Amino acid sequence: MVYGLAKNPPDAATFELGRQLFYDARLSSDGTVSCGSCHQVSAAFAHAGQRLSSGVAGRRATRNAPALQNLRWRHSFMADGGVLGLELQTLAPLTSPAEMNTPLAEALAKLNADPAYRRRFAAIYGPGPIDTPQFLRALAQFTAALTSANSRYDKYVRHEVGGVLTAPELRGRALFTAKCSGCHATDLFSDDSFRNNGLDRTFGRDSGRAHITSRAADRGRFRVPSLRNVARTAPYMHDGRFATLPQVLAHYAHGVQPSPTLDPLLRQPDGRLGIPLSRQQQADLVAFLRTLTDTEFLTNPRLAPPRAEPAHPAPLATRN
Amino acid sequence: MKNRPASLFLAMLLTASAALLSGCKHDADSQPPTGSVAFELKNMVGQQALALDGTAYTTADGETFTVSTFEYYVSNIKLTKSDGTTYAAPNEYHLINTAKPGSSNFTVSNVPAGDYTGVSFVVGVDSTATKGDPLALPGDLNPANNMYWAWNTGHIFLKLEGTVTSTSPNKAFTCHIGGYRQPLSAIVTATPSLNGATLPVRAGQSPKLAVAADVLKIFDGPTKFTVSGLPTTMMPSAASVQVATNYAAGMFSVTQVQPNSK
Repeated sequence: MVYGLAKNPPDAATFELGRQLFYDARLSSDGTVSCGSCHQVSAAFAHAGQRLSSGVAGRRATRNAPALQNLRWRHSFMADGGVLGLELQTLAPLTSPAEMNTPLAEALAKLNADPAYRRRFAAIYGPGPIDTPQFLRALAQFTAALTSANSRYDKYVRHEVGGVLTAPELRGRALFTAKCSGCHATDLFSDDSFRNNGLDRTFGRDSGRAHITSRAADRGRFRVPSLRNVARTAPYMHDGRFATLPQVLAHYAHGVQPSPTLDPLLRQPDGRLGIPLSRQQQADLVAFLRTLTDTEFLTNPRLAPPRAEPAHPAPLATRN
Repeated sequence: MKNRPASLFLAMLLTASAALLSGCKHDADSQPPTGSVAFELKNMVGQQALALDGTAYTTADGETFTVSTFEYYVSNIKLTKSDGTTYAAPNEYHLINTAKPGSSNFTVSNVPAGDYTGVSFVVGVDSTATKGDPLALPGDLNPANNMYWAWNTGHIFLKLEGTVTSTSPNKAFTCHIGGYRQPLSAIVTATPSLNGATLPVRAGQSPKLAVAADVLKIFDGPTKFTVSGLPTTMMPSAASVQVATNYAAGMFSVTQVQPNSK
């Protein structure tokens, strides 16, 4: 379901609490991994340069950490759409043994054992122990606020100062509209659907959407990611297999693999697979994609790790 | 505890709307009397009470095993009268956790008075509740109970974990059953027979239903599993549907109907 903003009206104190939680490594089982470890503001909250991120004890997740931006408008989460709400998304990396490895009840116990957190939660939600809805609401106030809408492309669309695109970027934009926007639709640059983009012929390692639905027709289908800030979110694809944007474009131009669930938009009328793109067109598309970089978002100090509180932060009682 | 505020609120709402509907003809005597039904679950392995203390149990095939975790949801309780009319109790979600003895007893209130000859319940959680507002999952449905798949939003309906001790080396087994999407929905309904008995629900009278839940029937139903051959299931699968079908078919049996437990 789409995020219910009205049910969790934004306010500064809750946002700051959510930010504190997002960057708090004490929520992981061994105190080494926070949400922010794998979701870095300078990479639009993806994990720069990491194909697969490591969780506690050096364990590897099975998928590339995705960018976190404009999540308020999404219907489901994860590359396979298994998580049905932004608030619930917190639970997946928190409890996954390969990531933060902390059962929800333990996370709540850690928070409740910390006087500073008790104070901050109580100031917002009233007295009593910190509970599941409070924890999920507070974190969602931070993740729901990760809005990227001030790239040069946005300024161009809105006719604002600084909104100038060069000739190659404009050529790239026209190409993008013609050849890419069937999936990377709207100014969110994703239609929020699940598609097989021809990475492999078989999907034994990761069946994607079928992992959730158990339907053969969903094998190899993965969420269409937004392309906002895409120049900063490398590596690419659900498993981080492509290190650069030119590699991604080359895949669509001549690397698409056939399989029964391959997306119809990647089958040309003449039977060729992929999207016909000359080298020049690929270069123009990359130039356009770089205009989606939103430096204000990537360098926003309010989204960066909070500075340590000047008081003496008490260690969490149940710290491992 | 379990969702009582919600049930109470609903009851008040129903009472209020009934009063509104009957308007000036309102008459206290026109309210149908209600009573309650107490449930007492007993987790068993065959004829033995289930203990999580390392006690080894033996199957008919001679396998031995211990159990470390046995939890399941009971929800959507329905009571049927001999004339076939049914009362579906709203907002009943009960997590039975062997490690928490108090969780095995609960009471369904506001049951219209009458003589009930049948009972059924979902072993698990319906898809509406499991997909409901995550910020409003109360009591036993709270994801903090660890009966929840974070990666595939929804509750785990039943958890059985333990160790097979008749193999060398011993073999741990993990069986988490859940999933509400077809074709692999594991939402199943148990309909244990009252064995000809009647549950007399009256105002001020609370009949009690004692129900045994036999772990062995998880292995032994329409599909036969050995304990050592029980597939490790941590996600919806064909095997998890078979296991759910097994426990719906035979795990629950009514051992006693007490006309009044008060």
